[in-house]
Amino acid sequence: MRKVDLCLSSEGTEVILATSSDEKHPPENIIDGNPETFWTTTGMFPQEFIICFHKHVRIERLVIQSYFVRTLRIEKSTSKEPVDFEQWVERDLVHTEGQLQNEEIVARDGHATYLRFIIVSAFDHFASVHSVSAEGIAVSNLS
Amino acid sequence: MVKLAAKCILAGDPTVGKTALAQIFRSDGAHFQKNYTLTTGVDLVVKTVPVPDTVDSVELFILDSAGKELFSEMLDKLWESPNVLCLVYDVTSEQSFTNCSKWLEKARSQIPGTVLPGVLVGNKTDLAGRRVVESAQARAWALGQGLEYFETSVKEMENYEAPFHCLAKQFHHLYREKLEVFHALV
Repeated sequence: MRKVDLCLSSEGTEVILATSSDEKHPPENIIDGNPETFWTTTGMFPQEFIICFHKHVRIERLVIQSYFVRTLRIEKSTSKEPVDFEQWVERDLVHTEGQLQNEEIVARDGHATYLRFIIVSAFDHFASVHSVSAEGIAVSNLS
Repeated sequence: MVKLAAKCILAGDPTVGKTALAQIFRSDGAHFQKNYTLTTGVDLVVKTVPVPDTVDSVELFILDSAGKELFSEMLDKLWESPNVLCLVYDVTSEQSFTNCSKWLEKARSQIPGTVLPGVLVGNKTDLAGRRVVESAQARAWALGQGLEYFETSVKEMENYEAPFHCLAKQFHHLYREKLEVFHALV
């Protein structure tokens, strides 16, 4: 089966929820395949967003490009609806002054229909997420 | 258009008028508390403030916590990750002014390495005859600490909104600065 970036809006993926929204920096920027555009939090933590694949996928490798993110928790769901999330990964990121944080996660049990990213804390008042890409395969459609 | 959210901690000695200031701001001047009640836990006042000359606003989550030392252990948890600081003293109490540096240090230690925008508020200006802390002295100290200075009489409902509007403006400014930083990354 073909390995693709599962986190692209051009592949049908959507961000269905984000707790912060600045019209100029909407959450869609996370999955547009362009790290120059970003989504920004707009004050106080935790902050979160949920990515919907609209199909069953198996993720092998996840890369998150961000800035000022300190603790990141990722939950996943394999349900048809965005419910029953279970804890998947939790990472403490390192601050990289002047350049994007590039966090790579090699996934175990990467079966998912939804991913929920929770920025638990940050290194500053605000944090940005520039891109999330997930390498893996589309397993089946939602029936 | 963006609506920012900021956790605002209200700090200062007991009886300087922190709760009265928060409550009068919450109620748009409709409610001045005549009787003193010691704040033992914490009150939360949530209010959205427009940012002048923009279409943006800041939702302030004002944490009015106890000023008494007795409750100071609790503060460490309540004051976690503040975004802005409103430091209050009583212009008729030298002690409450002197203690501001202690409160400021405690607030700033919550987010070491990160800027904490803040204001210093001298309250009870209606008690002119009993004033012991002069404006110039307080303003100079505030300036030196990077705080903007305001005087209020919560009792006379004078100038009670200005400090909060200033905090919203400062926080919005900080947001704009961070956007520049995010833009410059790639």
